[in-house]
Amino acid sequence: MSSIARATRRALAVTAMICAVATGAGAHHAAAPVFDLNAEKTVTGVVKQVDWTNPHIWVWVDVPNASGQVETWGFEGMSPNFLSRRGWTRTSLLPGMRISVTFRPLRDGKAGGMFMTGKLEDGNILTSAS
Amino acid sequence: MKHAAACIVLLVATAATMAVAAQESKSKPPAAADWAALAKLPDLTGVWEAPTVGRGGRGPAVGPPPVPQLTPTYAAKKHELDARNPDDTEAANCLPTGMPAIMGHPYPYEFLLTPGKVTIVSEAYQQVRHIYTDGRPLPADPDPTFNGTSIGRWDRDTLVVETIGFSPLTTIARNTPHSDKMRIVERFRLTGPDMMSVETTVIDPEALTKPWTTMRTLARHRDWTIREYICEENNRNFLDAHGKAGVNLALPAKKE
Repeated sequence: MSSIARATRRALAVTAMICAVATGAGAHHAAAPVFDLNAEKTVTGVVKQVDWTNPHIWVWVDVPNASGQVETWGFEGMSPNFLSRRGWTRTSLLPGMRISVTFRPLRDGKAGGMFMTGKLEDGNILTSAS
Repeated sequence: MKHAAACIVLLVATAATMAVAAQESKSKPPAAADWAALAKLPDLTGVWEAPTVGRGGRGPAVGPPPVPQLTPTYAAKKHELDARNPDDTEAANCLPTGMPAIMGHPYPYEFLLTPGKVTIVSEAYQQVRHIYTDGRPLPADPDPTFNGTSIGRWDRDTLVVETIGFSPLTTIARNTPHSDKMRIVERFRLTGPDMMSVETTVIDPEALTKPWTTMRTLARHRDWTIREYICEENNRNFLDAHGKAGVNLALPAKKE
């Protein structure tokens, strides 16, 4: 894919941000009580793996912890079906990309959450409501 | 007496004709005229999705739906389920929601019109609703199913769908069970070139003190197609035997 095509697709995903947020937790395939929908956190790391799957995509990110060790975080996004109609493609996020993920944390404090927005190094923002 | 006898003969003959007609409508292959007749119906065909707030303003924002009013017996059942299943529904385990919830997902629906039938394909959970519009009556006692058994008829510009026979695994709303008397009436009507209103009324004399009616707007997307949705593909949410929700964070092996 050309860089222009990729940039266009990312721009579309930015537009989707405005739209998708409003759907909130209602768009999760279940009620999603495992996530704290009133909390918001951000971590920065490197994309390790992306599962472009139903009922939710999963974005795995390697994040250095306080003691300098790398910990893999798992973030649940909306579905390929939902996101592909709102600017995402299965190559919007690729392993090796640096990303800051803003998410609704897991209530049990484990390394993961519900993916809200992902800011990439080039300034583009990917948004998933789930 | 002569008059009464004639009436009985006429009634029997009419009933027999109706039974034959119903039988024929099930087995008769569609003729060219049946396909041509579809063009005279309101065009509900295509892929539809509920416009959510902020998505281009294609439809009015929908407020919270009215809450179903439960009879004391069913209010008690709901209270018990709220206490026992605090977290989530079996949808976390990929069980389809069934009617009426299957028509309320943030995913598209494709409407197909063929002679004597309207088919609704729900992208969420890959569900299909079969609505027979060939004049057959509802069966007296259908086996209970997630989406129920449906017939439809055209009331001028409105498709009116009546559905009965629901699995006890489906609910009226969250933790709100239905009785085997539940009946759902839906009215689908075009309100613009690519807009449709859906009025859904749940009738259940054992569970509800009065029928529960909700409204939804669907917007047509002529350029969309229905995508595959296999919920079991990578479902990391789960609901345990105690109704407690969890999420599986084990990093999967990447399949190339």
